[in-house]
Amino acid sequence: MGASIGGKTVVVVGAGIVGAATAYFLSRSGFAVRLLDANAPASAASGAADGAVSVASKRPGPMMTAALAGIALYRRLERDGPLGGLFHERPTIMVAEDEHEAETLRGHAEALAGAGKQLRHFEGTALPSYLPSVSAHVRLAVEVGEEGHAIGYEVVRRLIAASGVAVERTTPVLELVKSSSARSIAAVATPRGPIEADHFVIAAGGGSAELLGLSGTVRPRKGQLVVTERAPALNASLPGSLMSCRYLLSKDAILAAGGAAGRRFGLVIDPLRTGQFLIGGTREESGDTSNDLAAVRIMLASAVRLLPGIARLRALRAFAGVRSATSDGLPLVGRVPGYDNLIVATGFEGDGICLGPLMGRTVSRLIAGEDCELDLAPFAPGRFERRSLVA
Amino acid sequence: MAEPAISSFDVLVIGGGAAGVAAAAELASAGLSVALAEQRPTLGGAYHRQPVGGSARQLRGQRQWLRLLRGLAGAGVEQRLGHVFIGLESDGIAMLDDRAARRIRSIKARALVIAVGAIERVLPRPGWQLDGVMTSGGLQMLLKETGGVPPGDLLIAGSGPLNVAVAADLIRLGRPPVAVIENGNPFARPGAALRLAAHPGLVAEAARHLARLASARVPWLRGSALAAIERRDGRLRATVRMPGGGSRMFAADIVALHDGIRPNAFGLPAETQAQPIVVRAGDCREALGIRAAVADGRHAARQVAAMLAGTVRDGSADRKIGRQRRAQAILHELFRPVDGYGLAALPDDTILCRCEGRTVGDLRLMLAETDAPGLREIKLNGRFGMGLCQGRFCADAVRDMVAAARPAVDGGASGPLSRDRWPLRPASIAALAADDELQEGK
Ligand SMILES: Cc1cc2nc3c(=O)[nH]c(=O)nc-3n(C[C@H](O)[C@H](O)[C@H](O)COP(=O)(O)OP(=O)(O)OC[C@H]3O[C@@H](n4cnc5c(N)ncnc54)[C@H](O)[C@@H]3O)c2cc1C
Ligand SMILES: Cc1cc2nc3c(=O)[nH]c(=O)nc-3n(C[C@H](O)[C@H](O)[C@H](O)COP(=O)(O)OP(=O)(O)OC[C@H]3O[C@@H](n4cnc5c(N)ncnc54)[C@H](O)[C@@H]3O)c2cc1C
Repeated sequence: MGASIGGKTVVVVGAGIVGAATAYFLSRSGFAVRLLDANAPASAASGAADGAVSVASKRPGPMMTAALAGIALYRRLERDGPLGGLFHERPTIMVAEDEHEAETLRGHAEALAGAGKQLRHFEGTALPSYLPSVSAHVRLAVEVGEEGHAIGYEVVRRLIAASGVAVERTTPVLELVKSSSARSIAAVATPRGPIEADHFVIAAGGGSAELLGLSGTVRPRKGQLVVTERAPALNASLPGSLMSCRYLLSKDAILAAGGAAGRRFGLVIDPLRTGQFLIGGTREESGDTSNDLAAVRIMLASAVRLLPGIARLRALRAFAGVRSATSDGLPLVGRVPGYDNLIVATGFEGDGICLGPLMGRTVSRLIAGEDCELDLAPFAPGRFERRSLVA
Repeated sequence: MAEPAISSFDVLVIGGGAAGVAAAAELASAGLSVALAEQRPTLGGAYHRQPVGGSARQLRGQRQWLRLLRGLAGAGVEQRLGHVFIGLESDGIAMLDDRAARRIRSIKARALVIAVGAIERVLPRPGWQLDGVMTSGGLQMLLKETGGVPPGDLLIAGSGPLNVAVAADLIRLGRPPVAVIENGNPFARPGAALRLAAHPGLVAEAARHLARLASARVPWLRGSALAAIERRDGRLRATVRMPGGGSRMFAADIVALHDGIRPNAFGLPAETQAQPIVVRAGDCREALGIRAAVADGRHAARQVAAMLAGTVRDGSADRKIGRQRRAQAILHELFRPVDGYGLAALPDDTILCRCEGRTVGDLRLMLAETDAPGLREIKLNGRFGMGLCQGRFCADAVRDMVAAARPAVDGGASGPLSRDRWPLRPASIAALAADDELQEGK
């Protein structure tokens, strides 16, 4: 696996951040790319997400390694690539509101430090001078350095513009058409007719599993978010995004429950560059994009508890996006077993903004037959098939 | 966490203007339990806007309004003043932002009548974002509420009968405007003028207003257009393009702009016959003016009552409404801009979205890209319609510019610049975060 087969034409299915990044890196390597979307660029998760480009909430392991590489790539693309002005470097500040949380946070901070992250701890009297607008009941704050924020739909648009590819909008792929040998894909079927290519990349987010016949391995996990009006002074009082470390507990609880759990809340207050705040978010086992008052109330009440000044602002918009989650919490990236020209990259759950550009580059290198730097073994798309064969 | 208290009614009417008040009274007198939510501290809406503190006398229509209020008084409608409707949850519960109490009130109703009126259209022009520039309707509301006129010279510009009405109001209050600049030229549309004769009420109203303008020697410059506003030496200077091709300058302290009205449909839930039934009434359904609003409110009420009772009512609208539709079409034709409206002629640095400070040039750049973005992409990346007004001021102009540049782009009926999302007005976070039950000690 990993060797390229010939041919320079590629169909990329899905113009979210992963598809857009794939198209960008492929075009730079001289491939002729057709980028298809059922709807429009960034019309799904990539356009309804927060944009933490962050390692702070990751456990040591393949996702942390990938996130570190993801941040490094954002830096590079911001400095001398197409993402100039779109990657906003700022620390993530993880906060603990009681002793139980503080304990969890201390343990987590150790793990982050072990992975080489720059950390600063703030407790007691140091806290109010570091975070003057944050509630006095906060016990511990850990500043995680070298992190940042990027807005998914802006990244998508910039990557597409830089790729020179004109996206084929409202072009859903209905199915993959096998070649006569049945070991490769010949075309994708669309309502506008079949589209042939040498290589096919499925980066269709929540639509990927169905195309690949993997239904059940990728589940929708909804998140609700709220955007406030501008509040430049309060915004500037935060050196970075505030993340309640309850976020970690919510992730853990879902994994512990085998991927299925009730509605979870993890609080992130992100000071945007516009002077607004983005407040999130829920983790719900649902694929719809509605907002409900009960969820918004709980999110905003916990935001006000942490950052009391936010109570004076107005909420401009509420929205919801749907993450694509796998049962082991790891994405599906790599060649699809049984085919020599089919690659999938999906299942990034709450990390696809951080990992999108990196995954686009990885897929592009796989197709070009180059070394892709990242160890893709933990993300192998065949791992669920094997499991079901064993069972 | 405890579930917040939810009140229940047969029907929730939203908007306390002529249409909403008429609908609420009609529904209640049919024996239904009705709540009427109005965002302002008083009922009245745009036309029957009430003086604040009872200081000013009402300008027009007092008798009709008192009749409407009497209909409401006896019917047992629960009034919720100072309550802003911010949306419908997916389970059909309506949310009201109770501004004074800083709480969100949840209301479960079997049906909603939405009567939130019209908003003004104001087309972008260089300088329209400057301090001292307001809308003619906003100016009229100020006159109705306070009975006074803000200090300084006033210039009125744009298109439509409202501008003439506001000028007449100003004259009555002893403060004639410098001029009224009108894009259309009703005198050059004899066909439409003849058809207006079928609506003697409108003719009489227009004649009264125009007589006032003439006797106060206020110039009504037809077929002319306000091309730009600048601030110089502490005053606003307006450049007006005259019909012959020349231009004239006017100095003023306040410039009032208005280019017509359109339904205030931003973000509203779609009409549906499934419960909760959602029906629109009055100007937010179709901007037909005050003469149609009452009839349309009653019509909507009868429709809803029939749907709730499970009987079918013939859907044909009232004769009165048809008549006002014809009248509005005539007015529209009379005031049709003489040169058409030139979005295409606007300089690149003209502000298009005032909330976010985005310009016409910003949009032109996006439209010139090879990968032609759709409306939602334009909204998100261009930030058009993303600010506090949530697109009320720029959505139409953005859509028109996109349509002119690329006729093939999807628009959708209401267009993705105004999606059905809540809160449909900016809502206080303190209110959204508050827990009703804890706070009310129920
Ligand atoms: C509330 C929320 C908060 C988040 N916060 C963060 C965060 O802070 N940091 C972070 O890194 N990540 C975050 N994420 C995760 C991130 O948004 C996603 O992981 C990422 O956007 C996934 O990108 P994608 O390209 O794989 O999929 P998507 O963006 O979902 O794109 C898939 C595209 O494929 C198209 N498509 C689907 N089916 C078909 C088909 N059959 N044919 C053609 N096209 C098809 C869709 O129209 C869509 O445009 C968040 C997500 C949510 C929902
Ligand atoms: C500026 C302006 C000037 C006008 N001048 C004239 C005129 O001179 N002659 C004429 O015939 N017609 C005029 N019209 C039209 C006329 O006002 C309407 O035909 C008439 O008032 C319509 O009645 P309505 O009940 O449909 O709407 P409105 O009278 O506009 O009432 C709507 C009500 O809904 C309330 N509301 C809006 N949103 C919410 C919300 N989210 N929650 C709770 N309440 C809400 C508003 O505060 C308002 O009280 C004008 C319209 C405007 C906008």
